[in-house]
Amino acid sequence: MTCQELEDLFELYALGALESAEKSEIDAHLARGCDKCQHALSAALALNAGVLSFVPAVKPRRRLKRRLLTSVGVHYPSWAWVWAVGAVSLLVVAAWLGFEERGRTFELAAARRALIDSNSERDRLTQALQFLSDPQTVPASFGKGQTAPPRGYVFLHPQMGVLLIASNLPAAGPGKTYEMWVIPKGGAPRPAGLFQSDGMRALYILNGPVDLSMIGTVAVTLEPAAGSATPTMPILIAAPIG
Amino acid sequence: MLLFKLLPVGLAFGILQVMLRLADDADLVRRLKAHEPKAMNDLYDRYGRLTYSLILRIVRNASTAEDLVQETFLRIWNRVQSFDAERGALGAWVLTVARNRAIDYLRSTDGRMQAGAIELDQLERPGWFAKLDAAALAMDRVRRLKSAFEKLTPAQRQVIELAYYEGMSQTEMAERLKQPLGTVKTWTRSALKVLRDELAQVAIA
Repeated sequence: MTCQELEDLFELYALGALESAEKSEIDAHLARGCDKCQHALSAALALNAGVLSFVPAVKPRRRLKRRLLTSVGVHYPSWAWVWAVGAVSLLVVAAWLGFEERGRTFELAAARRALIDSNSERDRLTQALQFLSDPQTVPASFGKGQTAPPRGYVFLHPQMGVLLIASNLPAAGPGKTYEMWVIPKGGAPRPAGLFQSDGMRALYILNGPVDLSMIGTVAVTLEPAAGSATPTMPILIAAPIG
Repeated sequence: MLLFKLLPVGLAFGILQVMLRLADDADLVRRLKAHEPKAMNDLYDRYGRLTYSLILRIVRNASTAEDLVQETFLRIWNRVQSFDAERGALGAWVLTVARNRAIDYLRSTDGRMQAGAIELDQLERPGWFAKLDAAALAMDRVRRLKSAFEKLTPAQRQVIELAYYEGMSQTEMAERLKQPLGTVKTWTRSALKVLRDELAQVAIA
């Protein structure tokens, strides 16, 4: 084949896309140092490079450069340790802030509970004072003359209910509670609420109107923590009314 | 410098750009030959993205593309001694090596490595690129080439893509497209002529 006939084949030759017979022809021309063919090859390589550069640009991952440079023994400055230190610092700060926040939350909850308890106690005492100061209140005492106290008073008010104040009343103990009973004249005991003693004294109020003429006795027993439907013997406090 | 006064501003700027790129590439090749540590860094900064994009276009797998980019640059690093620092078109050589690594990979996975298949590394000898127009990848040339490519018929574009990006011979293309070999050869030659003529226009301009 002549140089003229080969002219159109150099791009495919440079791409390795020619059949072997055509490739051999070009190889032979180039081996002879044919200037025209050498020039055609250079032009074909330039065209091929231009076509190969048409591809849409895609950014490789950053690690590729590091990997490449490492493979030729070039130290590539890595900032990974800076990120690692930063991340650990952030975690430590976050954890510290978390603990602080948690501690603050606990303190706040405890203060709130104390305030609620305090307000509740204040309300109970205010209510007890109202019982004691109201002329309609009827008092009754218990425990007098007993060798083993508790002793104390029960105050009944037709609208406000029943106030029990006991001294020398030991703590109920684990799983136990005190239960107050209102026993009508000639009737069965009715549960009137559960309460605890602080180990020395107890103050309990049953709120709501009561019929003073019907109540025969106010009593207290020691019961399981959930209370009972009927009193468990013995009766610890019995305050006869009227 | 008188030449620059006589040229239109755009063309003068283009020539200046090419001259700067050539000077840069020549210096880079000298440093690569000296195996200066920063030279590989600069080579990657200059051609890494284009190389990766080309290989990814061919193999269509990011992880494989990364492996082949590494292989390409190591090949350049190890063979740069034979490259003509003053006259060679470094970018064209890098792209050719990259394309051949990717096509080799495709052939090995497709089972297309036949007994008669041409060893692609024979076609990327550094000496070939010494006589190459060093402005092969100049922006203006590539833009005009791409514009010409887009004007090709769908069949012409298809054979060009099969040759460049899938490494197929014309016989393989004929089988793939279920067309007579003569038809495929006509499409290929006519497509390449359009592209060649466009580059000739750039050279004349």
